[in-house]
Amino acid sequence: MLRHFFTLIWNKRRTHALLIIEIWASFLVLFGVLTFLISNFRNYREPIGFSYENVWVLELNNNEDTTNIGDKVQAIMQRIRSYPEVESASRMSSNTPFSMSNMNNGITYNNVHTMAEFYRSDEALAQTLDLKLVAGRWFGPQDRAAQYTPLVINRKFQEKLFPNENPIGKVIKQDDKHAWKVIGMVDHFKGKGEFTGNTPAVFESLMNTDWDKNILIKTRPGTDANFEARLVKDVLGVGQGWGAEVTYLTESRKNQHNLTLVPVIVFVIISTFLLINVGLGLFGILNLNIARRKSEIGLRRAMGATEKTVSMQFLGEIWVLATFSLLLGLLFAVQFPLLNVFDMDANIYVLAIMAAVGVIYLLVTLCAWYPSRQASLVQPAVALHEE
Amino acid sequence: MLLNYIKIAWKVLLRHPFYTFITLFGISVTLTVLMVITSFMDHLLGSHYPENKRYRSLYVTMLTQTDSSRNSRSQGPPSFRFINTYVKTLQTPERVGISSQFSFANAYVNGKRIKLNTKYTDADFWRVTDFEFLEGKPFSEPQIKGGDRVAVITDKLRKEYFEDDGKSTVGRDIEIEGLRYRVMGVVKGSPVTRLYTYADVYFPYTAPKSNYEKGQMRGNFVGIILAKTPADRQAIQSEFDQVIGRLPASGEESSFHYSQFVVKADTYINQFLTPFFGTDDSKKVFFYSIVGVIVLMFMSLPAINLVNVNVSRILERASEIGVRKAFGAPARTLLWQFIIENIFITFLGGVLALIFSYGIIQLINQSGWIAYADLTINVTVFLVSMGVCLVFGLLSGVLPAFRMSKLNIVDALKS
Repeated sequence: MLRHFFTLIWNKRRTHALLIIEIWASFLVLFGVLTFLISNFRNYREPIGFSYENVWVLELNNNEDTTNIGDKVQAIMQRIRSYPEVESASRMSSNTPFSMSNMNNGITYNNVHTMAEFYRSDEALAQTLDLKLVAGRWFGPQDRAAQYTPLVINRKFQEKLFPNENPIGKVIKQDDKHAWKVIGMVDHFKGKGEFTGNTPAVFESLMNTDWDKNILIKTRPGTDANFEARLVKDVLGVGQGWGAEVTYLTESRKNQHNLTLVPVIVFVIISTFLLINVGLGLFGILNLNIARRKSEIGLRRAMGATEKTVSMQFLGEIWVLATFSLLLGLLFAVQFPLLNVFDMDANIYVLAIMAAVGVIYLLVTLCAWYPSRQASLVQPAVALHEE
Repeated sequence: MLLNYIKIAWKVLLRHPFYTFITLFGISVTLTVLMVITSFMDHLLGSHYPENKRYRSLYVTMLTQTDSSRNSRSQGPPSFRFINTYVKTLQTPERVGISSQFSFANAYVNGKRIKLNTKYTDADFWRVTDFEFLEGKPFSEPQIKGGDRVAVITDKLRKEYFEDDGKSTVGRDIEIEGLRYRVMGVVKGSPVTRLYTYADVYFPYTAPKSNYEKGQMRGNFVGIILAKTPADRQAIQSEFDQVIGRLPASGEESSFHYSQFVVKADTYINQFLTPFFGTDDSKKVFFYSIVGVIVLMFMSLPAINLVNVNVSRILERASEIGVRKAFGAPARTLLWQFIIENIFITFLGGVLALIFSYGIIQLINQSGWIAYADLTINVTVFLVSMGVCLVFGLLSGVLPAFRMSKLNIVDALKS
């Protein structure tokens, strides 16, 4: 039977060429959009590894003031920690969670090199962001005079640099002058929100530097804008002529999400319309083609074919056509996981290919269902009489 | 006669409403998607309020310093000093305006917080842009030199802060982060997508917290160069490159030793692409071709679909052609009939697409998704895409029909 289908289609390859191209192009578009969707969805399902409810970011800017910056920041920190509304507060580098800024540095251990996001923060960050350590500990007072800069890594970083060993206590050299010592490890940390990948990240303890002037503040539930106005006023009282800006992590998380979601939604809407368009077209073409083959159907029915075999014949034909086009499409799509384009996990591509194949088969089946049902209802006598 | 053809076309369309619907759906949805996307791109990149002269402007927004080992680089907007010394002094441009990048401030009024985008500008900024002043006027050079505490605000901020009490706003004070500024003027706000001109409140660059004296080359400012004509921009670019070429290549910026630095006066779209692709044109070409392939992929699907439906349907027109030929219609008449039919359906699809696009664009403008959004329908794009639809329609609908009209009457009728 299959061979019979192939012969039928092969004999009419000229007329089917356009159909094959259409299904092939739909497959490629689907493959692209689904890759995009699946990679985002997979990222979304991984936890971000910290909690952001009720956490504010206070961004300080010392503007023209250049005297005793470190001391003033210390004074501001003490003032913030003294409020009853504040549960805990921590200084951090400018790449605070959900912010637009990045600090990516290369780091090498045993000749293995990796890029990692560097977060500089103090001893209170684990409490402020509710970080869960899976090994070792967070920075503490005992690290203040340590020989090496203490470092907390995430699991992804361990997988890159210490694949089969316990990372705690390892010393990583930056250059002859400076080295870090790993003291702890967290599981996930996705600083830019749910839709980003879980990439290597490290936290280093900030010495009293002048330039890390972002403060994360975890407030008690129910704190409002009145406290915020008071806080800003008090902070600007310490830092004369400074700028202070407060943002809520819940708000900046929404912004980060929109950066991902808006393109995704736009793509999905456009592709949906494309597929509806293709589906309608296919439906129309199949309808016409099958209507034109009435006499053939009549003959087959007269020779004893049941309704079921007739409708199966047309479904089978369109499946064979789709398989042709998909094989062509696979030639292109398979290159992506093979060549590791865009540095993505090959599984994502494979999943996207399978999903796209599934959707295409579903689409052609839906489009061929009604016309082949109509074809099977043809009465042999009527069909042959028309001839 | 034409009216007759249109009547026939209309009847033919009604004879198979389902196929007509497929064709119309394909044409109108494809055109709508295309129109909305181009209108959005135009909103982002075209010349619109308050940058109505973007088509003859250049932007200096990014300065990249690289160290000798090419390992680390430090990149960001140029400083006020840099723009003032090397961009302001160019001979070719008509004017150069300076504004700062985004910065933020909060104002608290009657227990509510207003989040503000602030910009620090010079006097020429108001000349290279086309802000519409609803009240008052921009601040002047003497006021900037004197370090006056003045500000220009948008109508949105006027409404939020002064709560529309009907009195004139000019001359009143606005308190922002504990400092008082006198309002000089009120401008009509602009959408947030105009990165270098959008703000809620504009201060002179000498105002507190502007940091205009900070930094050697790198800082927080943007230069907007206005050329006399669009063609002048190349002369400005080469003059600027010469000026930069005469500067010492290496130096130190906030304890970073760099051995070379790159800064360009670019058109609005290029200054976004340059950070990604450097000044290497081949990468830019590659980027454009990738985008082109994706767009082509999306657009070719409906086109193939249209051709497919048309080709399948032409066979059922065979008997019609045969009958008309039998009654003595020449091939040319038949050809015209099919051409008119195709133009007619494409035109219908186009009208539908216009209605849909207009609706969606209005929806985007009204939804507050982007405040002050001013998307418009781009007529050129619309006409070009209509033309493309027409070409496909003619290729797939008219060519086979024409070939068929050359058939012998007997053959045509028999099939």
